Amino acid sequence: MANLAADLDYRERASRGELDLGWLRRSRAEWGIRAEPSRIGLTLRDIAVGTYGEVPDHPPRRTMAPRGADIPDEVPDMGYTINDKSEVWSDNVMELYEEAVSRQWSATRDIPWGDLAPIDPDLEHAMCQLATVLSEVEMVAADFPAKWLWRINHDFVEAKMFLCTQAMDEARHTEVFRKRALANGGGLGRATAVVEEFLKVILDAQSYDEGSALMHLLGEGIVLSLFRAGEMIAPSDVEKRIFRLCMQDEARHVSYGTMHLRYRLQRDPSLAEDFHAYLDRGEALMAVLFTTPEVVEPATILAAGSLEAAAALGSAASDVLRIQTVEEYLQRCDRAGLDRRGRMHLPDALIEGTSGVAPGGVEAGTSSPGTTVAAVSGGVA
Amino acid sequence: MTPGTASSAGFPSAGFFDELVRDVVRRPEEYERLGFADCRLVIEVVEPAGEVRRFGLVLDGYDIRSEGEIADLDGFHPEVVVSGALDTWSEMLAAIAEHGFADRSHTLNALSIAGFPLSTRSDDPIGRDKFYRYAETLQTLFDSVGLRAPAEA
Repeated sequence: MANLAADLDYRERASRGELDLGWLRRSRAEWGIRAEPSRIGLTLRDIAVGTYGEVPDHPPRRTMAPRGADIPDEVPDMGYTINDKSEVWSDNVMELYEEAVSRQWSATRDIPWGDLAPIDPDLEHAMCQLATVLSEVEMVAADFPAKWLWRINHDFVEAKMFLCTQAMDEARHTEVFRKRALANGGGLGRATAVVEEFLKVILDAQSYDEGSALMHLLGEGIVLSLFRAGEMIAPSDVEKRIFRLCMQDEARHVSYGTMHLRYRLQRDPSLAEDFHAYLDRGEALMAVLFTTPEVVEPATILAAGSLEAAAALGSAASDVLRIQTVEEYLQRCDRAGLDRRGRMHLPDALIEGTSGVAPGGVEAGTSSPGTTVAAVSGGVA
Repeated sequence: MTPGTASSAGFPSAGFFDELVRDVVRRPEEYERLGFADCRLVIEVVEPAGEVRRFGLVLDGYDIRSEGEIADLDGFHPEVVVSGALDTWSEMLAAIAEHGFADRSHTLNALSIAGFPLSTRSDDPIGRDKFYRYAETLQTLFDSVGLRAPAEA
């Protein structure tokens, strides 16, 4: 540990005007940098100039010093465990951070809460249950980055900053759905074991790789589809605006997850099977989510417009959502360099109508129609 | 209001989209509050006779530019194409003109979520996801049709 005792001799010299100036004269950091702002202001990309813009693949030190600063030898080691750039980086992370900061909104100010009007009690119940599920799931996407942030080497500060914006986004989503549940004569609905299991799998992930694949790519992809569906079936313009604003944030997180996985696999293709294994487990839970009444039925009722119409609609509305969710997920996996077609862990009935079916009709992933929470969680160490 | 008449006067045309993006100049604070965006988008209109017309929009920071009618789609390098029949676009614009903004079933997202009557396509899902990332900006832009005076709309 560095000697941190107060240097009273220095104080005495300084009082006589004898400045040390070692920090000035022995500086090795790059001098003469003048980053130019672009049209929207001075962005992270704009300041990624000279050596300051070089993010090392394997930082030589583990300190909180700003990347590019002079770091004396005695600066303590912070003990970071994520010291490989490819573990957290994505090529779009700087732009996503700037976008996130620019597109923040307020659940208090930007939602026209005063326009909420009483609606049919069945629809209010459905809206409140949907808000309950979403308020329940969103905070994990703040908890997960928070769990890993302090372990990430500070040389990857742009990625850390992006994850901070994600935590703020998710806090706001938790807030806005809690507010919606309580704002129109309803209240919170029912939590479910399967949702909690999914959140636990993400939170308990043994590595950032595992958690990011489950959360950024799979989980947030599902929630993004739910937000899109919510925007379409919203009972009023108030919820419509809520879902649209949340959709924007969630799509940003999914974009990070997709491009992060791509960056990771490009640098180490041998990890592909590990990621397949993570997603195998996640998809098994996804299958249970698709058959959980608390998750599926509120959207069906809102889409149909009434309880009676929902019964007549059957699974038509949820099928649209399921197919769209699966297709977009498969496309993102493709973009990341991970082909999940033909090996998805969804029962046949849930993979039907998507391109996830294996060529030639070979059984796709787990085809057992009896997938249960216990079976799934039992498979997650 | 009859779809395809008053609300969509001049639609589809480069002039319509030129006028559309003038809303950003008229109400810059509205768009700046929503935050900046970065996307090359094509609005594709399929006419009843099957003719396909395409119009380019570029979301660039706080600005949105109309790039006019696009003859060479690949040359425009769109990140996402939003496509639909003329009747669908006209109905959407009519609904916006009638209500002052897109009603429940006529938002860009609602019309495209099932892939019909509007659909999105993209060579890259990251481009397609930008349609979601900038959903509020795009909706605000199209909803500006509802702010126009009847003669203008």
